[in-house]
Amino acid sequence: MNKTLRLVLAGLLVWLAYGILMQAQADRKPVVIERAPLRFIKDPNPSFSAVAVDSESNMLVVSDENMFRIMEYDRRENTPPQARLSEPKRIISGTNTKAEMICGVYIDPKTKEIYALNGDTQNWMPVFSTDARGNVAPNRALNIPGHPFQLAADEDQQLLYMTIQSDNQISVYRKQASGGEKPVRTIRGNDTRLEDPHGLALDLKNRLIFVSNFGNGNVRGTGGRYGTFAPPSITIYPMEGSGNIKPVHIIQGPKTLMNWPAHMAFHQERQELFVANDADNSILVFHASDEGDVAPIRVVKGPKTGIKSPPGIALDSKLGELYVANMGTPSITVFPVTANGDVAPSRTIRGGPAGTVGLMIGNPGAVGYDTKREQILVPN
Amino acid sequence: MAHPQIAAFARLANGGQAPLRTVYGQGSKLSRTMHDIRYDEMHDEFFVVNPFAEAILTFRGGTSGQESPIRIIQGPHVKIGGNRLDVDPIHDEIFVPDGRRIRVYPRTANGDVAPIRIIEGPDTLLTRAESLSVDPINNILVVGFNKGEQDRENGALLIFNRTDSGNVKPRAIIRGPKSGIIRINQMAVYPPKKLIVATMPGLVDQMEPPDAFLGIWTYDDNGDVPPKWKIPIGSKTTLRKPFGVVLNPKNKEVILSDMRLNSVLTFAVPEIF
Repeated sequence: MNKTLRLVLAGLLVWLAYGILMQAQADRKPVVIERAPLRFIKDPNPSFSAVAVDSESNMLVVSDENMFRIMEYDRRENTPPQARLSEPKRIISGTNTKAEMICGVYIDPKTKEIYALNGDTQNWMPVFSTDARGNVAPNRALNIPGHPFQLAADEDQQLLYMTIQSDNQISVYRKQASGGEKPVRTIRGNDTRLEDPHGLALDLKNRLIFVSNFGNGNVRGTGGRYGTFAPPSITIYPMEGSGNIKPVHIIQGPKTLMNWPAHMAFHQERQELFVANDADNSILVFHASDEGDVAPIRVVKGPKTGIKSPPGIALDSKLGELYVANMGTPSITVFPVTANGDVAPSRTIRGGPAGTVGLMIGNPGAVGYDTKREQILVPN
Repeated sequence: MAHPQIAAFARLANGGQAPLRTVYGQGSKLSRTMHDIRYDEMHDEFFVVNPFAEAILTFRGGTSGQESPIRIIQGPHVKIGGNRLDVDPIHDEIFVPDGRRIRVYPRTANGDVAPIRIIEGPDTLLTRAESLSVDPINNILVVGFNKGEQDRENGALLIFNRTDSGNVKPRAIIRGPKSGIIRINQMAVYPPKKLIVATMPGLVDQMEPPDAFLGIWTYDDNGDVPPKWKIPIGSKTTLRKPFGVVLNPKNKEVILSDMRLNSVLTFAVPEIF
């Protein structure tokens, strides 16, 4: 056999072998491993992330990010110490609801509809009627790109204001907006000082928007975008503001005690701003006119309060009550708006046994393993 | 997720057992959407991305509470883009996918540091690269593609050489209906057996996708190839939407996080190790 023929034959053999291998790969049947897990880390209790209250109808609506539920309680509920938990009056949950990682809720003061804001995994804000329960489709739903966190309404103007984390943006929508309707205006840009905005509250008298920021920022320039870290802040804007506007003033600095400031609520008559201070297990209260590095006028914090990792807060201005959603333990704690220091709540609505520690696993996109300590690492 | 954190559970934790430690708070510089975490046993460090501040954070292994990272890669020269990463502790490199490119940084970098190399260009076929895993022993880099609601094409697994740079072709592409890949979330590799272990959680907008699974392929796979092994969703496995995966070869375990269950499940899978 001459050399050329040998080379051709060798090439043919390689080609055939490759073809057989590829065919074998394509034809292979996977070995299906169907067995129960050895271990299953799962929080059996709700993880309350947001709360809304309507004293006229005695509605207390909370979101549960652990089991993807919207739950309604009677706002007067107070779980007896010996009870395991309080049962909600209704639950909205399931794959038809367009509700999953709900981090913001709002009750329409007239219709009593529930507005639920998905902070992640579903780009929707579904709206439910008073008779919605179970795995029901919402009455309507608005598509909201990005990662919203809190919403508040201007009922006179019929507008919804919300923070959008991933775009460092405030979006303003028509209150009845649905489908793919775009916002009527946005506040966004380097000058806004919006840095991972979370909470949002409205001072309807002075027409101001208060926004709490975690401090994860980015700068957009001609060379592209890059990230920054800043201390947490509350930035304040005019309600009719739009585009790349500067805040009218900023609350920021070590005296403020802010540590992951999350949901906020504004008390119109008292002109006070309430802040759920997640990583400090506290509620901070500021004057509406505060600016710069100022200490809060009141701080609700301590073991008697039962406040633990609170992202959610709501005010009942009529009855003078403050509602706190705790993720660190499955409870809603209720205080008078004048509460200060380490005070016991006037009522506690528990979704699980007293003293339970919330695992706070939420949308675990990854898992790691620390081989040295033999520990499983779970980021949210 | 309303409360960002990294929770560390004992390997044998089960049920509602509380974590041994958590990392959280302003000092930690964490954000939500940390879609990857990698532990480096050689240097006893772990790594995450803060996508909102566009930063790679390195923590000492035993970090707890509101402790700060020991190194932060962030600034105008960094341009990390993505929210996942992997670490090569042998060659001291961090890999970050960002859609159409893979950026590589020195593991020990701190501050405003540019990538030391980038895999990028039309020949790379990179379009929706959002996860990866690096094998420093066999010098392999596996890249997973996402699929957004608007994307026409399904996801894929692309295999590159670990040291690739610039406009290079992938060594192999696993993609197609037989592969079952719609999108890839977190991945792991197992160098001794040359395995790729990837979660396939199905379409983004489906709360409970009917076809999600954990798939295990080999480095030699190419084309429309089904996984060699598969852990499906369903009543037997209890899985609904697997998102994260990490291997524990010492105990022959595959550890999974499940988004729809908000939980962590450990499976004994000795046959793959």
